[in-house]
Amino acid sequence: MIGRLMLYLFNFYFYTLFLLCVIALIPLFTIFVAITRVFSTHRNTMRRFRRAMVWWGRVVSALPYPFIKIRYELDGANDISKPFIFICNHRSATDAFLMKVLPHEFVEIVNDWPFKIPVLGFYAKFAAFLDIRNMTHEQFVEQASRLLQEGVSIVFFPEGTRSKDRNMGNFHSAAFRLALETGTSLIPVCMTGNEIVMPKGSSLLRPGTIRVRQLPPLEWENISGMTPFALKRRVWDMMNRELSTMESAA
Amino acid sequence: MTEQEIIEKTNRVFEESFEIEPARLIPEAHIFTDLGLDSLDIVDLIVALQSSFGVKIRTDEKVREIRTLGDVYHFIAAIKNGEQAE
Repeated sequence: MIGRLMLYLFNFYFYTLFLLCVIALIPLFTIFVAITRVFSTHRNTMRRFRRAMVWWGRVVSALPYPFIKIRYELDGANDISKPFIFICNHRSATDAFLMKVLPHEFVEIVNDWPFKIPVLGFYAKFAAFLDIRNMTHEQFVEQASRLLQEGVSIVFFPEGTRSKDRNMGNFHSAAFRLALETGTSLIPVCMTGNEIVMPKGSSLLRPGTIRVRQLPPLEWENISGMTPFALKRRVWDMMNRELSTMESAA
Repeated sequence: MTEQEIIEKTNRVFEESFEIEPARLIPEAHIFTDLGLDSLDIVDLIVALQSSFGVKIRTDEKVREIRTLGDVYHFIAAIKNGEQAE
């Protein structure tokens, strides 16, 4: 009973601060980007805008600290000289925010529901997040290729939906086809603990530690001869092994 | 073409084009949930089946009804039988 009460208090505290951030920070970021747009190219404005979104994510994910901790683990060094396709497992609604750990300029591939969130949905659309459910594969490849050519990385949750439990669902192949068609290297990202912090079907946050583990890139030269299906299976196997290791260590 | 030949040839398509282990290729295997194909992979599957069996497969309603590997065997058998009847 007391535990439940504490949980509600914690969530009241978080969501109040979250709302304040929406009211205070988003207009601030918008004004900043709009003013700098006058002196800058469209490309630089978009870069700044996406950066502002990452900072927004950083602020929001810092709000519940120290009750919720996010540990970013990098296996090797980050290469920000070129765009990548990030492949992430998906257990929780928090996952889109967790991508703020990435130093790359990126957009996320999402279903249509994030676009329906008031305010945030508008910003996601403006940042060119792609709604893969409402476009053909050809339209998707065209728009995603353009972003990659501009140097923008793309974040996928190829399970397509949050997994029901700790078992990773089957991957859709769009991310892997895009990588093979555009000559882009892949980076798998494994996340654990997020399913405890915000389980599927709940909007209540719970205390815990989220691990975001970025694996070494699968460079294009090493995957170019593979079929999309073989590539997605290889990445699935690799991530499944890593998630098991992460969970057995927890 | 016998039923067994169709099964063996179809399984070979799944092994070679999709690198799926032979042990998983049972008639009850659901193409999407058990074997992990998605709608885009189905296009590759059709291309591979066309090439392997030397037939033309139209992406019509019957293809959309395919759920299991057994459905694929029946689908190919129906096309091959149709060819013989012609």
